[in-house]
Amino acid sequence: MHSWWAMKNLRAMKSSAVMTFRQNVFDMFIIFGVLIQPLLIATLALWMIGDRVSEAIIFIVVGSGMTGLWTNLLFESGNSITQERWTGTLEMITATPTPISVIVFGKNLANVSQSLGSMFVCYSLVSWVFGYQVSIQQPLLFILSLGMTVIAFICFGLIISPIFLLNPSVQRWQNALEYPVYILCGFLFPIALLPDWTTPFSYLLPPYWAARALHGASSGGTSPSDIGFSLLMLVVFSILSLLISQILFRIMLRKVREDATLGLQ
Amino acid sequence: MNAIEIRNLRRVFKTSIGVIRRKIKEIVAVDDICFDVPHGSLFGLLGPNGAGKTTTVKMLTTLLIPTAGSASVLGYDVVEHADAIRGRIGFIFGGERGLYWRLSGINNLRYFASLYHVDPKVSDERIPYLLDLVGLKDRGQERVEGYSRGMKQRLHIARTLLHDPEVLFLDEPTMGLDPVGARELRQVIRNLQAEKKTILLTTHYMFEADALCERIAVIDHGRIVAMDTPEGLKDLVSDLSVIEIEVFGLPDKTLGQLRQLPFIDTVNVEDQDQRQILLAHSPIGSEAVPELLAAMDGVRVGKVIVREPTLEDAYVRLVGGS
Repeated sequence: MHSWWAMKNLRAMKSSAVMTFRQNVFDMFIIFGVLIQPLLIATLALWMIGDRVSEAIIFIVVGSGMTGLWTNLLFESGNSITQERWTGTLEMITATPTPISVIVFGKNLANVSQSLGSMFVCYSLVSWVFGYQVSIQQPLLFILSLGMTVIAFICFGLIISPIFLLNPSVQRWQNALEYPVYILCGFLFPIALLPDWTTPFSYLLPPYWAARALHGASSGGTSPSDIGFSLLMLVVFSILSLLISQILFRIMLRKVREDATLGLQ
Repeated sequence: MNAIEIRNLRRVFKTSIGVIRRKIKEIVAVDDICFDVPHGSLFGLLGPNGAGKTTTVKMLTTLLIPTAGSASVLGYDVVEHADAIRGRIGFIFGGERGLYWRLSGINNLRYFASLYHVDPKVSDERIPYLLDLVGLKDRGQERVEGYSRGMKQRLHIARTLLHDPEVLFLDEPTMGLDPVGARELRQVIRNLQAEKKTILLTTHYMFEADALCERIAVIDHGRIVAMDTPEGLKDLVSDLSVIEIEVFGLPDKTLGQLRQLPFIDTVNVEDQDQRQILLAHSPIGSEAVPELLAAMDGVRVGKVIVREPTLEDAYVRLVGGS
């Protein structure tokens, strides 16, 4: 019985991901967030670093790519439920037997997976346009870190979307949340350059551990055990996010059914 | 056993007024209603805009939590066992929202089929059949954003039948459809009735309710004001005749005077292009015509018809058309 139910929900999750991907193909905001903005950031970083660029080239590729991942997670996964409400589809999907968390997981899967395109465009820019040699020091660990990053970002997105729906005032800070995370999580430069008091905030953000693992595996100079610790933290954050999201979704569904806000525009 | 059971159901909405001195205002949308819908029957909810029809349907489809009272569908409580209900019901809300406009009609149906846990082999067969049923066979590959309002409504109908639900909630399903499309949909509803589906239908169209429903509840200001078969409801006005008078430019003052006439039960005026149709209910039938015409002295009058009352006349009397 449980395996039958799980299989049906897995199929629903896949459909949700495919549907989201099909919709995103036409979304100019996503095209900007995933492809254009990381390119602008990478170009800016190349000019800023100047003479030392060849040493930091992989850091720029991975870091710029991560900005695309975070932007897409914050705006697309964060807004996933709110957007459904605007289009009037939230009532339709809530009244199906598939749990809303499964549907949002599928949407996040599509959003985060396509955000990996950010890294590819940044790689293309620096290697083909600027002609730099780009190499990954620990390819296997990098692939593993990338996989864990995708999972951790999907799970983190499961927390953001119900919070945004429950607290529209938090959603108004969406734009303001974009750049501080780039900085606090060390996407484009190490957090060691920041004041010490900011470090605990970095440790509480799953994207920090993703950036640490990806930068460590790609740039080298980091021991496998240190990367392993970052991956472990990503696993811990993913599990925590999943657990918290289940509670948030339950609270959200109860509240929107009580307040009659499922169908509001 | 009943497919739907409602006991003392009540739903209150809270809204705030003002910016500085905010006041919470309570609006009672559904007020202590009770009714049952037996398995395999078609039950109608009739009422004016804002009467509480959609709120009732939303509570039964697990989208709203009642403020008080209880409701169950197929024996499951709509609050406590919402998950058990969702796979067994289908619903349509009037209007064109609720679809993914950037996707094609077929992709919308495929997506909802998977959310309703329909086996892919079954949905592969069922989607073309349903598109044919609702007249979208040749347009299924097109994106929904290019559909007319009526086509979107028909796609909603296909969506709600994807998982072959036992109970259907149809909230103004023919709204936005052209006359031919509406007639075809009524035939679809009759076919579903023949398959012994339980259907709760809300509509503004009296002839639709008269033609389809086995029982009808008339709801006004959140309360059920009458519940019977269509024939039983018509009996409420069987003592009256309906006098239809075509008039041109009827002053409000004259209308007020007509309402004061002792042999008149209710009077309504419908605007139709350049003319108006005055509808008067009277127990004395054609004998009332000369006095009505005399009371409208100076008003240009066209055709005069005296006829038997319909369900619409019963509805007008019940929801206060005076």
